Amino acid sequence: MEIPGLIIMGDEVRNNLKYTGTHEWLKLSGENAKIGITDHAQSELTDIVFVELPQVGKEVKKGEEICVVESVKSVSEIYAPVSGKIVNVNKKLEDTPEIINKNPYDDGWLVEIKVKDKSEINSLLDPESYKKII
Amino acid sequence: MAIKSPLYKIQERLGAKFTEFAGFEMPLQYSSIKEEHLTVRRSVGLFDVSHMSNVWITGKDAMKLLSLTTVADVPKIGENQSQYTILLRENGTVIDDTIFMNLGDKYMIIPNAGMSIIVTKWLNEKAKEFKLDAKVVDVSRDFVILAVQGPHSREVLQKLTKIDMNNIKFFGCQYGEIAGVECIISHTGYTGELGFELQITPTKKAEIVFNKILEAGKEFGIKPIGLGARDTLRLEKCFILAGNEFEGGRTPLEATLSWTIHWDHEFIGKQAILKQKEKGDFDRLTCLECVDKGIPRHGCEVQKDGKKIGAVTSGTLSPCLNIGIAMGYVRYDSREPGSFLDIIVRDKPIKTKVVKPPFVPKDWASKN
Repeated sequence: MEIPGLIIMGDEVRNNLKYTGTHEWLKLSGENAKIGITDHAQSELTDIVFVELPQVGKEVKKGEEICVVESVKSVSEIYAPVSGKIVNVNKKLEDTPEIINKNPYDDGWLVEIKVKDKSEINSLLDPESYKKII
Repeated sequence: MAIKSPLYKIQERLGAKFTEFAGFEMPLQYSSIKEEHLTVRRSVGLFDVSHMSNVWITGKDAMKLLSLTTVADVPKIGENQSQYTILLRENGTVIDDTIFMNLGDKYMIIPNAGMSIIVTKWLNEKAKEFKLDAKVVDVSRDFVILAVQGPHSREVLQKLTKIDMNNIKFFGCQYGEIAGVECIISHTGYTGELGFELQITPTKKAEIVFNKILEAGKEFGIKPIGLGARDTLRLEKCFILAGNEFEGGRTPLEATLSWTIHWDHEFIGKQAILKQKEKGDFDRLTCLECVDKGIPRHGCEVQKDGKKIGAVTSGTLSPCLNIGIAMGYVRYDSREPGSFLDIIVRDKPIKTKVVKPPFVPKDWASKN
């Protein structure tokens, strides 16, 4: 018998990113780092329907809640992988939050942080270590 | 440990993600809640709702016992008919809501998940107290319950039975074979769509029925549906979820279930709700549609001009309307349809409008 329905695999882990144990990714370019949620996280959540983004200019500490991602059934807090200042948010998510499901590592980024202390990045997970926890 | 449905293994193979609900480990979703939800609204879906309970009421006073313990006009419900009703405590608060089926020689009631022991005990106690010849037996674990819901549900089941499915009227019920397996078939559901529910025993035969329904429904794009979509489907129609809307003890008047009450008979709780009815100043379940972006959730405060006037019992994003919707108890004098109230989500007010139920009308799928 054929199986109806679609099974979403969500195991892509990109080599050029850093990760957290709470399923955020971070990509550093220059002074700033883009932050989003991993493919695994989006597939666990499925159907992302609402994103509450922070104010640009807000100072955040590593581990602090920076935004909220909601699926139909659940509310998930997203934590800052590093300390710094929010310099940009992905406004597209306000009207089309589902792009996180489609493209969690590119168009589905959440916020951009001006990193305060780059040494904090060293304590994040590398792709191999992240793969082990999902 | 959570109880697994007899269909757990095939659901796992179908890619289900599971969740614990009232002591049962049931599929939350297979593909996506949104997709499953829209499949039921537009076509047809198959649910395993074995977490719901099955209780037999037998004996010559079975009807009297049901009449005493529910708000329904039980004698009016003839053989092969079923009825939605509620059981009340003496103080007028709801113990549980349920459907009862008149199957000729006995009644079956379908209490909510995790409620079978409480309801069975309550009914047996009342039978004893009022010296009624009625026996109440919890047979929940002997049954698998499947729900086939959606505009194509009748056609799918018709392919699997010799019974003329058109003869089973809304809230009708009867014994019959589906896919060669004897079931109790009822024209009932919890989605607001055309739909049927099947009570199957012994449970080992349920897998055949489950698989045959998926096969027969293939031409309509049938999908197995989890509890996630079950919840969003019922909430769009403003159907009550006992664990949410009766939490903390609510009367049928507060829960806007007056329409279920047959006042012209004696039942447990009647005096208490008559008193409440006279006073009139009680909170009532209210439907709120978000005007602002955001999703209200269980427990969120409802405010008017910055003052608390209620709380949300159920909230979600409506997959059909793509806006936040909520039900909650609101002060009786502040719930005029068309008026605006705030729901507080993470300390911020979201503007909502009081609407008449349901959020999603019956003809939604034909217009969208």
